[in-house]
Amino acid sequence: MPNSARSQRSAATSPKMNLRDLVILVADASSYMSMLIHSMLRGFGANKVCEVRSSIQVLQVLSAQRVDILLCDARLPSLGGLKLTRAIRGKVDNEHRTIPIVIMSTDSSEMMIKQARDAGANMVIAKPLSPASLYDRLSWVAFHPRKFVDTATYFGPDRRFKIEGYPNGIGRRKGDKLIEVAEESGPALAQGDIDSLFSSVRTGLD
Amino acid sequence: MAKTPKLEARIFLMETRFQKMARREGGVARNDAIERAAVEIEKAEPGFYEWLDDGLRKLKRLIAEARPADSSWVEAANTHSRQLCETAGTLGFQLLSFIANSLCDVLDSIESGGNCNMESIACHIDALNLARQKSYRRLTPEQVPELTEGLRRIVERI
Repeated sequence: MPNSARSQRSAATSPKMNLRDLVILVADASSYMSMLIHSMLRGFGANKVCEVRSSIQVLQVLSAQRVDILLCDARLPSLGGLKLTRAIRGKVDNEHRTIPIVIMSTDSSEMMIKQARDAGANMVIAKPLSPASLYDRLSWVAFHPRKFVDTATYFGPDRRFKIEGYPNGIGRRKGDKLIEVAEESGPALAQGDIDSLFSSVRTGLD
Repeated sequence: MAKTPKLEARIFLMETRFQKMARREGGVARNDAIERAAVEIEKAEPGFYEWLDDGLRKLKRLIAEARPADSSWVEAANTHSRQLCETAGTLGFQLLSFIANSLCDVLDSIESGGNCNMESIACHIDALNLARQKSYRRLTPEQVPELTEGLRRIVERI
């Protein structure tokens, strides 16, 4: 099928994401970058976007009000996005413990992706961002709920999953591959499989 | 040898409010959402040049006041150049983003104990000033191969 026909069919059948009245917390030290992300979210239909510049402010907002999703820069001062994710996931009496967390990072090295995954992030988005990459990843979080795993050493989304493209084929790129992951025989997943998975998600960017 | 204790795992399905609400009727289709987001970004673009100039001024000041004994400026300069790289890239200013990213590589190397070559930093600042000009803003790194190669060689040498 020609690409244009496939894209038209995908667009017609793709699920529509409704961000209205969802509280989205954008945590980025750069006010301009934060404003750009806010602009993209507004374009997607979001009307309740909060911006903060530090991890302390994230924790303050989380303790003061309901937040539905956190978009957090990996280098957010002072804790950094990954330590902050661990702090949110690790606090047992925290009502936001299971909140979707998307890490935005200029560093998309394998090591960083592994660390984000092990900290309990739902997804990593490579910076610079594009509206398409942001929409596809939010959509993926929205339409593919993952189980949560609670062990003595990890609390967060199940790290054993495979990507089969974004909802209804949207966002799937020529280079995207189906990834077979380890058998579901325990809470841990072979490192290589998870790395491949996140690599695949990254290379699926525009 | 003692056996590693088996980890107990609790696995549960957690459908968050975000997931429930995002799937409601009345959402925005992908293509419409992306188009609208692009329009919103365009509205924000005019402020970029002011932000860029301010960032470049801060970078220059940091570098002018840099003292070899005090490395705190490196972290601050790295933060500025990383933000510049991300923002310029998000707005589609590929050349600016490339140069800022190359400067991050130089500063990363200094942060991890590498040689602090101020000349290589000055070259990057000059390149950023050039790429900021109207006639260069929308160029890609491939369209200015001499500049791109020059910066690549600088980074390779550090």
